[in-house]
Amino acid sequence: MFSDFFRKVRGNKTDSKDVAKQRLKFALIYDKLEVSDDTLNSLHRDIMEVISHYFEIDQKAFKLDIRRSDDLSALVINTPILGPKHRERPQADSPG
Amino acid sequence: MTNDEVERCNLEGRTIVITSGKGGVGKTTATACLGAAIALEGKRVVVIDMDIGLRNLDVVMGLENRIIFNIVDAVKGKCKLKQAAIKDRRIDNLFLIPASQSDNKGVLTPKEMVQFGEELRKQFDFVLMDCPAGIERGFENSVAAADEAIVICTPEVASVRDADRVIGLLYARSITPKLVVNRIVPEMVKRGDMLSHLDMVDVLSVELIGLVPMDDQVVISSNTGIPLVLQKRSRAGEAFQRIAMRLNGMTDLPIEVPQAQGHFWKKIGNKLGIGK
Repeated sequence: MFSDFFRKVRGNKTDSKDVAKQRLKFALIYDKLEVSDDTLNSLHRDIMEVISHYFEIDQKAFKLDIRRSDDLSALVINTPILGPKHRERPQADSPG
Repeated sequence: MTNDEVERCNLEGRTIVITSGKGGVGKTTATACLGAAIALEGKRVVVIDMDIGLRNLDVVMGLENRIIFNIVDAVKGKCKLKQAAIKDRRIDNLFLIPASQSDNKGVLTPKEMVQFGEELRKQFDFVLMDCPAGIERGFENSVAAADEAIVICTPEVASVRDADRVIGLLYARSITPKLVVNRIVPEMVKRGDMLSHLDMVDVLSVELIGLVPMDDQVVISSNTGIPLVLQKRSRAGEAFQRIAMRLNGMTDLPIEVPQAQGHFWKKIGNKLGIGK
């Protein structure tokens, strides 16, 4: 009781539980953005395959990354294009 | 134990897994308490220790020297279900299936557990599974057989984070878990030095089913192996009893928020309007 009283007199400092809550909120957001290696690998494969339908690309130099800053995450793809692909666009109903 | 005591068929039991992700937050205590409390309400209950290799539910319940068979024996068909289910010493309708101490968690598979769960469901009103810490095979096995889940979480950052992870994994298996906040110290919550249950529900976005205060009686109860719900004046025991009632159909029973225990000077202070 007296500690409550003195704190009221002194003016409030931030409650430690509010610090905990804020840290947790951020931690949980970051945890959810974490992508497993398997997911990233299959995403890598799929995107490379789709781009290969349209361009000749250097598959070894193809890079896929998730970049995080304070308030957002971005999927960054970087690939050198060797040239356009000279073939018909795959039909919408064709398998694959 | 006569055969009749365990053998009963065609009940439509509910299978509930008690989990947390993080260890040491009170899963085993909660399982023992809820099992005892629901059994005292007249339902036929089995509690199962899924922590294979590190069994504990048996000592907490004071049944450690009655173990002959265990969960692995029962699942693998080395014994009958009724042989593995140990009848509680004090509470009728309460049974324990202990973990095996010598095997490791890989010995059981989720598929086997689903099948075993079906068998249990026919013979008990409630099947409570004490899930091991972690999210590996032991967790998979426990969740595979369950259709409901209770997540135990203490008001600490590590526990909340792990609870969030486990809640996500449960949702991925189409189970909507309910939250028990355990080991609340009302004085600290009041001072702003402990996450309140409202903070936790806000962070975890999950339905609450009970609030349990920190209580010395929990240690005393596990020392003696006497169920907490049979101890007089155990605040945690009473809280678990109310959770059991909610589980057992009284869904509208209000959730009581643990209050700081009144000290003499505090009461005077409150009267004078100095207290917070």
